[in-house]
Amino acid sequence: MSFGPHLFLALLEGTVTAFVLAVTALGLSLVFGVMRIVNVAHGEFFMLGAVLASLCAGLVGSPLGGFLFALVAAPLAVGAIALAADWLVLRRLDYHPEGTIVATIGLLYILQQAVLTFYGPDARPVTAPVYFRIEFPWFGYSGYKIVVAAISALLLAATWWLLTRTRLGLYMRAAQQDLEMAQAFGVPARRVYAIVFALGAMLAAAAGVLVVPIQQAHYLMGLDPLLLSFIVVIIGGLGSVKGTLVAAFVVGWSDGIVSVFFSPTLAKIVATLLVAAVLVVRPSGLFGEERA
Amino acid sequence: MSDRALGRVFGLHVAVIAVLFAAQFVLPPYDHTNVARILVLSVYALGYNVLLGYTGLMSLGHAMFFAAGMYGAGLPVYYLGFGAPGALAMGILCGIVVAGLFGLMALRTSGVAFLIVSLMFAQAFYLASLYFNEITLGDQGLILSGKLAALEFGGTQVGFHEPALKYNGALLLFAVCLLGTLVLRLSPVGRVLIAIRENEERTRLLGYDSFRYKLLSLVVSGALAAAAGATYALLFSYVGSTFASILFSIYPLLWSLLGGIGTILGPLLGTAFMFYLVDLASGWTSAYLFVVGVALLVLVLWFPRGILGTVRARWLPWLP
Amino acid sequence: MSALLETRALSKRFGGLNAVHEVDLQVAPGEIRALIGPNGAGKTTLVGMICGRLAPTSGRIFHRGEEITSMPPWERLKRGIVYTFQVTSIFKGLSCYENVALPAQRKLMTGIAARVALAESAVATRVQAALDSVGLAAEAGKQADQLAYGHQRLLELAMALAADPQLLILDEPTQGLAEAEIAQLCDLVRTIARKATVLLIEHNMDVVLSLASRVTVMDAGSIVAEGTPAEIAGNPVVQKAYLGR
Repeated sequence: MSFGPHLFLALLEGTVTAFVLAVTALGLSLVFGVMRIVNVAHGEFFMLGAVLASLCAGLVGSPLGGFLFALVAAPLAVGAIALAADWLVLRRLDYHPEGTIVATIGLLYILQQAVLTFYGPDARPVTAPVYFRIEFPWFGYSGYKIVVAAISALLLAATWWLLTRTRLGLYMRAAQQDLEMAQAFGVPARRVYAIVFALGAMLAAAAGVLVVPIQQAHYLMGLDPLLLSFIVVIIGGLGSVKGTLVAAFVVGWSDGIVSVFFSPTLAKIVATLLVAAVLVVRPSGLFGEERA
Repeated sequence: MSDRALGRVFGLHVAVIAVLFAAQFVLPPYDHTNVARILVLSVYALGYNVLLGYTGLMSLGHAMFFAAGMYGAGLPVYYLGFGAPGALAMGILCGIVVAGLFGLMALRTSGVAFLIVSLMFAQAFYLASLYFNEITLGDQGLILSGKLAALEFGGTQVGFHEPALKYNGALLLFAVCLLGTLVLRLSPVGRVLIAIRENEERTRLLGYDSFRYKLLSLVVSGALAAAAGATYALLFSYVGSTFASILFSIYPLLWSLLGGIGTILGPLLGTAFMFYLVDLASGWTSAYLFVVGVALLVLVLWFPRGILGTVRARWLPWLP
Repeated sequence: MSALLETRALSKRFGGLNAVHEVDLQVAPGEIRALIGPNGAGKTTLVGMICGRLAPTSGRIFHRGEEITSMPPWERLKRGIVYTFQVTSIFKGLSCYENVALPAQRKLMTGIAARVALAESAVATRVQAALDSVGLAAEAGKQADQLAYGHQRLLELAMALAADPQLLILDEPTQGLAEAEIAQLCDLVRTIARKATVLLIEHNMDVVLSLASRVTVMDAGSIVAEGTPAEIAGNPVVQKAYLGR
C-alpha cells in the first residue's frame, strides 16, 4: 500500500479514536470545569464500562443484544459507583483539590484491583455486535468502527443538548462560572456536583462499552484513556467543551498518523510532548479560561 | 531556633542513624536486605517530601527522577564499565539535569496543571525507556551483578554482593541525605520554601523570587530521588522500566503522607511501614495494590497529617 | 526636590473597566502622603502597580529617578518599597516569629554560606525589634491565626518594618483596630516617617488629618484633588466624591 492509502487509513483510525476520546475526555473536562477537581480514577470508569460490557456479552446470547444491554446497563452501574464515591469520599473532603487527587488515586487502585480479583488478569475479547466490512479500493475497513464513531457523535450531541437546553445544564454552566453566585440563585450545588461526577463516569463507561469489541477488556486498560484524556483536556482547556472536541481530533489524528507510520509508543510520546509545548506557552490550555 | 533546641533536633536525627547502624548486627538476614532497600527508598521519599511537604508542590512524576538516576548510573556500568563512585555521580548529575529542565518548563504552571504536566513528562520518560528497548531492555531490565567492580577499603576488597556493603552503603546515603535535608529545612532557604508553601504571593512581595526557589527545591528533590535511584541500581544490581512507571511515582506520595508530610523523619517511617504492609499483602493475594488504594483513602480522609505530623501537632512542636 | 516616587500616565484596565486611568503621582522623600477616596476609586489597584503586585496596562513608574515599571516585586522590595495588605496576608500556619523572620532575614542572605546557615541570633534581634515596635513581643511564639484580627494587622506591619522600608505603603492599616491601637499606630507611623517615606491609604479621616503632610484624593480611577489636609477637608469636589453619586 502506498503513502496515500496509508494516510487515509491513518486518518480513519484517527477519526474513530478521536470520537471515542472526545466522549471520554468530555467526562473528565466536565468534572473539572464544574467541580474544579481532577478525577484520576476516570480511566477506571472507562475500564469498568468495558469489563461490564464483556460480562454482559457473556450473559445475553447475541452479541448485538449484549451490546445494547451493556450500552444502557454499564453506564448506569458505573454512574452508581461514581455517586457512591462522591457521597462517601469526595463530599467529606469538601472537594479540596489536592485531597481529591489523592483520594481518586486510592479509588483507582481499589477499582483496578477489585476487577483483577473478580474478573481475572486475562484480557478477554468481545465479539462485535455488528459485522460488516466497508471495502475501499485499497483495503477493507471494519464497519463496526464506523458505528462506534457514529454512536460517539450521538453521545456528544446528547451531552451538548443537555448542557445547553436543559435546566441541569444551566445549573452546571452556572456552577462552573461562579459557584457562590449560582448558589445564591438557588442552584443546589451538592446535588449538581454529584450528578456531574456521575455523568462524567457514565460518559467514560459508555466509551468503554463502545471500544471493547475493538480492544479487549483488561483490568489495566484504564491508564491509556486516562492519559489521553488528560492530554486532550489540557490542550483543549480545562472546562471548555468546544476545546475538548477540537483537541480530541488533534490528538486522535496525530495518534493515528504516528501509530500507522511509526509506532504506537512513539505516538504517545509525541502526544505527551505536545501537551508540554502547549502548557509552556499557555498554562491555561488553548481554549481554557484564564483562572482569576 | 536556640542552640539548645538545635542540639536536640540534631541529636534526635543522629540517634536515629546510630540506631539504624546498630540494627544491622541484630537483624535476621531477610530483614537485613529489606532495611537496606527501605533506607534507599526512603531517600526517594525524602526528596519527594522536600517538594511537597516543604514547598507545597505536588508532583506525580517523581519516578522520572528516580529512573534518571537509576539509568544514569546503571547504563554506564553495564555498557561502559564505570566504577561505582563514577556511576553514582553520573546518576545524580542526570537527576539534576532532568529536574532542572523539567522545572524550567513546568514551573510556569502550578497546582493541578503542574501535577498533570509532571505525570505527562514522567509517562513520556517511561515510554521512552520502553521504546529504546535495545539499550534498556525495557521491563525485563539489566542485571548489573558481576559487572560492578568491587570497592577497595584500605587493602581489602568488598564486593557488591556483600550484605554489609548493601546495608552500610544504603545507610550512608540515608544519613547524608537525612542530615542534608535537615540543614536545608533549618536554613534561611528552608524558611523561604515553607513561606512559598503557605503564601506564595506574600513571599514574593517580601523580597523573594519564588520561581527561583521553587526551581531550587525541584532540583534538590530530583537530585535526592536520583541519588536513591542510582544507589538502588548499584546496590541491588537491577535497572528496569518498572521504576519509571506511574505507580512508582505514587509510592513516595503515599510514603510521605503516611509518615507525615512536612516532617524530616516522616518519609522513613512511611516507607518502612508500607514496604512491610505490601510485602505482607503480596503473600496473600496478587491484588495487593488494593492495600495501596485503601491506605491512600484512609490517610486522606482521616489521617492527613500522617504519623509524625500527628505526633508533632500533639506532643512535639519542635520536630522539624 | 526630585520625587522619591513618580508615576506617569499610569493606567490599569480590567476588561472594560478603567480601574486606574492615566494617574500622575509624585511622592516627595520623607513625606507622609495619604491617599483617600471612596470604595472602588482605584487606590489599592494603584499601589498594587507601584509595589509590583499588578502589571500596569500602560504608563510608567519611577523610583529615585530610575524606571521600575517592569521590575519584579522582589527587586522592588530590595529597593525598599514595602507593601502591607488591605486584607491581611500573613502566614497563618506559622508563628509570629517565623512570619517576621522571613522579611527580616532577607538582607542577611548574602552569598551561599549565609543562605545555608545563618546565625539565628542575627535574625532574632531584628525580629524582636520589629515585634517590639508594634507591641507584639509577647506573642512571638503564638501561631499567627490564633491572634485577634487587630493583632494580625499589627503583625502585618511588623513584617513590613522588618523588611527595612524606604517607601512604606500602608493599605488601610487602622481597619479593625481599637482606639488605643490606632493612636499607637499613628505614633509608630510618625517614628517610621523620620527615616522613611509613607504612602497611606485610609478611610479614617481623623488619622489622615493628624498624620498626613499631603493628601491625594482619587475617584473613579483618577486623581481629583491634591493638597494639605486642611485644603482637602474643605474641598467641595472631595465632598461630592464621597457623598454625591
